[in-house]
Amino acid sequence: MTTPPISQKLPAQAVRPARGPLPWGWWLLLAAVAVAVLSPLLLLLWQSFLSNPFFAPAKQVGVSAYSQVLTDPAFWRAFGNSAVLAGAMIFIAVPLGAILAFLVTKTDLPFAKVFEVLLLTPIFVSPIVLGVGFIVSLGPSGFVSGLFTQLFHLASTPWSVYTLPAIALIAGLTHVPYVFLYVSTTMKNLDASLEEAARLSGAGVWKVMTSVTLPLVRPALVYSAMLMLLLGFEIFGLPLVLGDAKGVDVITTYLYRLTAVTGVPAYGPMAVVAMILILLALLIVFMQRALTRNKGSYASLGAKGYRAQRLKLGSWRWPLAIITILYLLYAVIIPMAGVLLRSLVRSWGPGVDLLGALTTANYAAILSSPDLSRSVVNTLVVALVGGGVAVAVYLLVALGIQRAPKGASRTLDYLAGLPRAVPGLIMGLALFWLFIFVPALKPVRPTLISIALAYMVVWLPYGVRLLTAALGQVSKDLEEAARIGGATATGAFLKATLPVLKPGLIAAWLLIFMQFVREYSSAVYLLSPGTEVLGAQIVQLWGTGAVDSIAALSSLQIVIIVAVYSLATRFGVRPE
Amino acid sequence: MRNPVLLARPVLSLLTLSLLAPVVHAQAVPNGYPAGYSATINAAKKEGKLIIYSSTDQASAQPLLDDFKKEYPFANVEYNDIGTSQLYSRFLAEAAAGTPTADVLWSSAMDLQVKLAADGYALTYASPESKNFGPESVYQNQAFGTTLEPAALIYNKRLVKASELPATHAAFAALLSGGKLTGKLATWDPEKSGVGFTLMEYDNASNKDFGAVSSGLGKAQAGLYSSTGAMLEKVTSGEALYGYNIIGSYALLRQKTVPDLGMKFWKDGTIAFQRVAIINKATKAPNTAKLFLDYLLSRRGQLVMANQSLIYSLRSDVAGKATRAVLTQQVGGTGNLRVIGVDKRLLDNLVPATRTAFLNLWRKNVKGQ
Repeated sequence: MTTPPISQKLPAQAVRPARGPLPWGWWLLLAAVAVAVLSPLLLLLWQSFLSNPFFAPAKQVGVSAYSQVLTDPAFWRAFGNSAVLAGAMIFIAVPLGAILAFLVTKTDLPFAKVFEVLLLTPIFVSPIVLGVGFIVSLGPSGFVSGLFTQLFHLASTPWSVYTLPAIALIAGLTHVPYVFLYVSTTMKNLDASLEEAARLSGAGVWKVMTSVTLPLVRPALVYSAMLMLLLGFEIFGLPLVLGDAKGVDVITTYLYRLTAVTGVPAYGPMAVVAMILILLALLIVFMQRALTRNKGSYASLGAKGYRAQRLKLGSWRWPLAIITILYLLYAVIIPMAGVLLRSLVRSWGPGVDLLGALTTANYAAILSSPDLSRSVVNTLVVALVGGGVAVAVYLLVALGIQRAPKGASRTLDYLAGLPRAVPGLIMGLALFWLFIFVPALKPVRPTLISIALAYMVVWLPYGVRLLTAALGQVSKDLEEAARIGGATATGAFLKATLPVLKPGLIAAWLLIFMQFVREYSSAVYLLSPGTEVLGAQIVQLWGTGAVDSIAALSSLQIVIIVAVYSLATRFGVRPE
Repeated sequence: MRNPVLLARPVLSLLTLSLLAPVVHAQAVPNGYPAGYSATINAAKKEGKLIIYSSTDQASAQPLLDDFKKEYPFANVEYNDIGTSQLYSRFLAEAAAGTPTADVLWSSAMDLQVKLAADGYALTYASPESKNFGPESVYQNQAFGTTLEPAALIYNKRLVKASELPATHAAFAALLSGGKLTGKLATWDPEKSGVGFTLMEYDNASNKDFGAVSSGLGKAQAGLYSSTGAMLEKVTSGEALYGYNIIGSYALLRQKTVPDLGMKFWKDGTIAFQRVAIINKATKAPNTAKLFLDYLLSRRGQLVMANQSLIYSLRSDVAGKATRAVLTQQVGGTGNLRVIGVDKRLLDNLVPATRTAFLNLWRKNVKGQ
């Protein structure tokens, strides 16, 4: 323990001697991840060159599906729209999320605790429902729009929620929480001595943030930007609900067009779209590695990290709080209120007496319908248990990326970046094919395990990035000390690093839990009586028009997560 | 005899008797069925679970499932409520993989159902109920129309007075082109929805004013949607005033809770499709599957549809809220009800050239492309 307490910038490579578990352990992990990630993707690759379903007796191999998609102007329009969405998510969500994280974790911003809880909400609400919330509140007939037009005597609202810029703005603002949580977890774990030093030498709050805190969490910023880019191309629920009215297509909603133009599900072209997105994801992971590896990652959380006083915002304290409140109003409170309101009324819109339309029937309908009430329980089981197992798996993969021999580490990094690139609906189909065509998986398919496995694969990029960021913050000093004291590599990790990592792990488990509660598209093909889950149920109901049930189900979703989150905080999961 | 348990005994046995009575009764062959049908019933008793894949909501189907269970208490039914396109994909893949799959497929995607039959996936079965249906509802004794799904003009009663409603397609087209309804229309996107395509294509084939209506939809910048839920929501909230070619049974169901939702059927030609049922040829429960199909087609089943599920019954000998008789009267006579037949013509819709021809017309009229 002779290292000086402040500067602990150890490039990741420097702490990667050939120790840790035996190399074959890493190879085993690599093989397992490769099988889980590559089998659905290779199946899609094969399908992308076939004229018929891969299981059909008659099929031809060729590139006709590629030429169909690549020469379709509608595809390029959708691709361009997706790029706009992804760009908006990066340029809106990353700066806003990072600044909010700084304000909430490092300064004396008023109501910081309340803001933190509110900020979580959009993450765990299905985007379909979030879209419905925006329509009910800010759409042409929305209740906020109604108040606004009455107040200013307007014929219609000066804004729209259906145009491409509007959808991009909404997508950007509703993804701020992802960046916030990601970056704030990292910031909380920072050794505050550097900030303290800057403050003592006279730097203002803004200066501390831009020249000390943000550079220290740079890996987390890069990861969140890349995550936004990935999610931007995969985003489905919001454009599904908001894009129809003006015909704004993105890549995921373009998939519907493929099916209806041929009349039968067009697996070939669908697989082609998946391949294009996989190429894009590989590029994104490559960029991310280039951006983070060159500068090394920063280990700043050690045995001796201490927390300084919160920075004083001074006269900016209240203006910043008001800006935060305005943001929360627009991106969280108003749409959530819309969802809640929708769940409590039979109908809405100008001229409807909302008090008269008030009803609890939508909730009663859920309780009386066995499949809907079962889906609430199943979702909890998958998210709690499956989410817990997922965190353990993701931790192993993140460790592999950090510590395995170079080749294995790089391969793991690329593999782990892939699954979220494929739109959930296609990934769900590919995983469904595996579950029914691979004999060993057949018995698993009618159980909840199949859904948990599918979620685990689909959320691998997100989870691994969460845990890589958490691991990157942990200094190896303690583990090295344990090793010097004679512990085995595994023992040293378990006794020295794991305890320090615990808050990060629990935070990751919470975030994964929320994603699993909300996840929808990848389970659509795996549903069967007894294994219904909320998210997929919502997609199903959207088709036939049961918006009442959707709103009630999602309000339950919100309640579940707020309850779990408050419980977790009460038990000291996220120590301040 | 003070012992309450002993006292309870005769009561209990009475109870048991009364519980058993309908069971014994149900074993009888339904009225009008051949005597040989009892063999099917007896064989069904030895079969395992009946798996149904259906695009009908669980909530709408539940009364039918409950009543079926009442008629055949031994039947063990597993009901899967799946979207039309996923239903087709899932069945095809499972059939190829040889894993357990649906015994009965009941779907609104008429074209895909007939394609499954034409591709050899359907069991051929001469149902004793077939005689109660017209030739437009039975394909090769393999695919069976079970319901009537009229396409309605829905409107928001708060914003549209009954007197303003267009009486004919031509009047509607004029209204659409008048400029007052810009952005206030919701209809199907046939490029994104299979059911939407079937409806719009048939509308074009059977309605001389479709060209004017579709051009009008274009002029009014109608929102094009891929789900009934979205369109109902647009109209009930008043964001759209009218919804064109909306599935009548879904609108009827929504009217139960939203009194502001209006629904009108055209007197100069209302189109309708049918939900089609087929039995998987490779089913392990062929007899239970036959019982279920016959139940859907039976007067008893259609009565439950018309009065509890609020799905328009296909049979004409059924009385109630959502029946063929009520609909025939609303459209102004049998001649005005144009039902899409369960037949080979649907397969033409799956030929890319035919499809493209209609979609090009659609794009030209609605999008000016």
